Parts: sequence; structure tokens; C-alpha cells
Amino acid sequence: MRDALIAMGLVVGTFLLLVLQEFIPPMGFLSDARVNLIPVLFCYGAMILPFPLMLVLAVAIGLMSDLATLQVVGGSAEIGLGWSVLFYLFVGLICQGLRPLVLRGHWELHTLMSASAAISLPALQFAMITFRRMEAGGIFYSSDVTWKILGPGIITLFVAPVFWFAVTWVVGRSSGFQRMREIER
Amino acid sequence: MKKVNIILAVIVGVLAIGLTMLGAGSMVGAQSGFLSWLSPFLKGGAAVQQGIGAMGQGLKTLDQLEADHRRLVTENMELRASNQILRDLEIENNRLRVALDFRERSLFRLVATRVITRDASTWWNTIKINRGFEDGVEAESTVITDIGIVGKTTTVSKNEAIVLLITDENCKIGAYVEGSREKGIVSGVRVQNAMEPELQMNFLSKNANLQPGQKIYSQGVGAVFPSGLLVGTVKSFRQRELDGQAILTPAVDFSTLSDSFVIVGEK
Repeated sequence: MRDALIAMGLVVGTFLLLVLQEFIPPMGFLSDARVNLIPVLFCYGAMILPFPLMLVLAVAIGLMSDLATLQVVGGSAEIGLGWSVLFYLFVGLICQGLRPLVLRGHWELHTLMSASAAISLPALQFAMITFRRMEAGGIFYSSDVTWKILGPGIITLFVAPVFWFAVTWVVGRSSGFQRMREIER
Repeated sequence: MKKVNIILAVIVGVLAIGLTMLGAGSMVGAQSGFLSWLSPFLKGGAAVQQGIGAMGQGLKTLDQLEADHRRLVTENMELRASNQILRDLEIENNRLRVALDFRERSLFRLVATRVITRDASTWWNTIKINRGFEDGVEAESTVITDIGIVGKTTTVSKNEAIVLLITDENCKIGAYVEGSREKGIVSGVRVQNAMEPELQMNFLSKNANLQPGQKIYSQGVGAVFPSGLLVGTVKSFRQRELDGQAILTPAVDFSTLSDSFVIVGEK
């Protein structure tokens, strides 16, 4: 029950974060890279929740992320619905593998996974767009692309630890995470 | 890993792959519904953002009023304060008059819109506007200002619409060069600085030799963009092996764009 509440909280948090991110301007000092903190929330859930709830999170968060960024132009979408679900499913499987270490107190794994996911997602999106536009515009690359991919990861490196400790402190005592940590000890 | 977990993961994977195969219509429908959910939050956020933007000015006026009460300012100071307010109103009045005049003299039926949010995604240049199908806005409608083309709508929900800006590589416009027979296709550049966006005009003849400052107008081919709308001005021209390419500066300043119009039909 507690785990389900945490999962629900993370889904609602993701929805609100998607709204908030609409109002965060691009980071001019990082070639207009966008802030994407959704992986921070997802990795937290994927590391502290049991496997079935991780899957629920992957579906809910992936679907919301896709719906927020979907672009259907001229009757076709370059990146359709469902790709983020697959991405978060893959990230979630890795997080579940790291879960025993995280429960032993290795919080830094959350930061590393969040940053990796925040970098991998735009990188994969760019690869898909490049593939789709191969005929029209060929392969395109510039330093702006590098920063647009790395930018969200850099921001995540700073935000993820703060989020981890804040959320663990707020919900830790009533969550399964704290209980499991105690059992582990 | 437990067998049950593996089965669950496979089910989710298959479900996700099934979603990627959805048709464009279903995706737009789902996104439109999601936008309607986001709508109250986006509008609230936009109002807060606007409020914060105007706060500095508002506080300044309150300070002045407090000072007036405390120090019993002279009539001269009161008049100066009133004058300042009138000047602000005059600027706002002029801006609205230009917009209204543009709507009156336009050949098209226009719906006035306001930008709610901008550039929410990494790889696409888009904005969200506060008009949807309830206001007569449809997908693939042209969005303009009194200066030139802004872009076209993609997903339209009840009260919002996503606009793909002309600075996006996917937004293509058939266009011609003012005072010449040169025609080409204008599109955005895949990844670029949002502060100084550029457009590219391809498929020009090799010897077009366009000069900086020449104006580019929409040609009216295709179903989206009507002819005669200003797209941008030539910044530079270069000859390529088979054709010529011009780099353009968009007519509209996207960094300050707040009001725009959606063409919903002809008058």
C-alpha cells in the first residue's frame, strides 16, 4: 500500500513537473539545452519500488513524456508514442538490478543513473530524428547538438542528490524503502 | 529475476511496441486529450509568469503611492505619476490598435492568440497558444503576426494548440523572392540557437545571386500557407554544386513573440 502511494505520488509529481518544465526557459549557457528532470523521479521510483510498480511507473511516465513532446507533422510522427515507455523500461530494469546496492546506502547510483538517462534520452531522440530525416537533410551535427544532449545530464547531476535526500527525508520513515534499509542492515 | 517479473516486463515491452505502431490520428487524439488535462495548469502558470513579469512595475507604483501618502506629495508629482501611467496606456493602446487594424484589413478571418509556453522540447521548435478547436482553430492552420509568418498548428485541443515554428526543419514553405522569378523551399535549421534563428531557402537556381535584405514571401503552394505572407529577408547566398541556397533571417522576432493570429478561413 505504501509503495503504491509512493508510485502514485511519483506519477502525479511527473505530471506537475511536465507542467513546470514548460515554463523553464532553455539554458542559454548550454546552447539552449532543456531541463529534463523526469529521469530523476523515475530512477528514484525504479530503485526503491518493487518490480511490478517499476513497470507501472515506466508505462505512466513514459506515456506522459511522449504525449508532452509528441510532434505529428504532415500526418506522421518522427518519434511516436511508446518509445519513452521502452526507454524507461530499459532504464528501470537496470535500476532494479542496482536496487540491492541502493538499499545498502549507495545513493550516488541514483544520481549516476538519472544523469545517464537524462543524457541517453535526448541522444536516442536525436539519433531517431537523424535517421528519419536522412533523405531530407542528411546527417547533421554541431556543438549545439552535444550540449543539448549533455545539458540535461549536467543539470541532473546537481538536482538528483538534492531530490534523493529531500524525498527520502520526507517520505523515508513511512516508506518501504526505509523499512527495507533497516532490514538490510 | 522471477518468472512472473520477466513475463510482466515482456507484456509491457509488447504494449509499448504496439503503441509505437499507432496511427497519426490516434496519437493526435491522445495528445489532444492530454493537452486538455494540462490546460488549466498551463494557463495558471502563464498567468503567474505574466504576473511575476509585471510585479516589478506594480511594486514601483505602490511604493510611489505609499510615498505619496506619507509625504503628501505636491500636485506636480501626482501629475507626473499620472502622466507616466498614461504613457504606458498609450503604448499598450498603440500595440492593440496595430493588432486590431491588422485583423480588420486582413483578407483572412483571424483568431487572436497569445503564447502560453514556448520551446518545451529539445529537438522541435514549437510554442503553445491559448486557442483550440472551440475557437475554430484546426490542425495545419497558418499562424501569423502583422509582420509575417510564425508557423503552423499541429495538435489542436479544446483550448490550446501546438504551433510548429518556421524555424523548425519540418516546417517547409514554398516561397518566392521579391522582385524576381526565383522560387525555393524555406525551412528551419535542425539545431540552432533560439536567440538568433535562421532559415534556409533551398532549390534556388545556381545563378540566383540574391542580395542581403531581399524579402521572401510565401508562394501559396500546398494547403497550409497562403501566398504573399512575409517569411523573412535574405542574409546571405551561396552557390552549391547543383543549386543555390540562401540563409534568411525570419521576419518575426520569436524571442519577443507574445501575440499572434491563426488564419481560420477567408473573409
